[in-house]
Amino acid sequence: MRKHTGVEPVMPWWAGGLAIGAILTVATGLVQPIGVSTQYVVFDGVWLHAVAPDLAARSPYLAQTAEGWTLATYEFFFVLGIPLGGFLAALATNRFSPRLVPREWAARFGPSPGKRLLWSFLGGFILLFGARFGGGCTSGHMISGVSQLAVSSFLFSTALFISAIATAKWMYPDREAKR
Amino acid sequence: MKLLLGLVLGAAFGAVLQLSGASSHTKIVNALRLKDLTIIKLILMAIGVGMLGVHLLDLLGLANMKVKELYVLGILLAGAIFGVGFAVSGYCPGTALAAAAEGKPDAWMTIAGGLVGAMVFAFLFPELEEHLLAVGSYGAVTLHGELGIAGIWLAAPMGALCIWLAHRLPGGAGTP
Repeated sequence: MRKHTGVEPVMPWWAGGLAIGAILTVATGLVQPIGVSTQYVVFDGVWLHAVAPDLAARSPYLAQTAEGWTLATYEFFFVLGIPLGGFLAALATNRFSPRLVPREWAARFGPSPGKRLLWSFLGGFILLFGARFGGGCTSGHMISGVSQLAVSSFLFSTALFISAIATAKWMYPDREAKR
Repeated sequence: MKLLLGLVLGAAFGAVLQLSGASSHTKIVNALRLKDLTIIKLILMAIGVGMLGVHLLDLLGLANMKVKELYVLGILLAGAIFGVGFAVSGYCPGTALAAAAEGKPDAWMTIAGGLVGAMVFAFLFPELEEHLLAVGSYGAVTLHGELGIAGIWLAAPMGALCIWLAHRLPGGAGTP
């Protein structure tokens, strides 16, 4: 068994799930359910408004989502907290993993960093396009939305898993030999 | 004060994602390949606890609910698109942020791609709204709302089912 690969969790699934459910409950009681993907639009809007205000104002969606063109909101700070917490957790448990190419990717598509970085970018593009189209992501739709028994979130999550599993099975076909 | 609260709750969320392996490309990809169900168990547990917590709060009149709009065709398409991005990148919009903070360059690229994807969506929105978001549009509907009962009556059995399922699914197998 290797040490500090950054892969193996130090928190078991039940504790992680319990903690996320508790964070959602506290957030819903104090402010609102948790969500992440809207803040990508907010960041885009505030940035575009700073460099090209006319262009930003031409998108009603940007103007409405990035209301007031400010990042000083509860929602944005929640999202800002995620890398902060991730960093502190990695620091506390010595689980930094600044590898260029993830293990599964390298085994299937080779060790080329350029290829992985390009596909990560494209994956991110598709991810946020889908999230904004559907009005939420894993946090907002799957965790918060399904917890609230929202019909749209059940549909989104079902379509998400069918598509993600099909894509992953296609990208990473099962093989007998490992490594 | 509210900003600080956001930062603290977000940091707690990010720390849990990191510690429980949700920010790991390997863990996500192997969950989607159905090789290692740890992350599926984690999500089911989070939903189960969340359902119970949120609807108990709601019973006491303390929940600030925010239910997303239902537009059947658009939601199904969006979920399918999101799923492809999830499998290709191995991150979701939240876990990419935690992974980026661990120093993973591919997570940075996922965030960069996400910012561009969100921007493109923002400028396509008027078109999409007119043609796709109007199909099968029902507003912010919930299961319990449709039945006309308090959420906890559904959340209690369904939450328990999620937690039971999380417990029953095999876990930890398939990783060295």
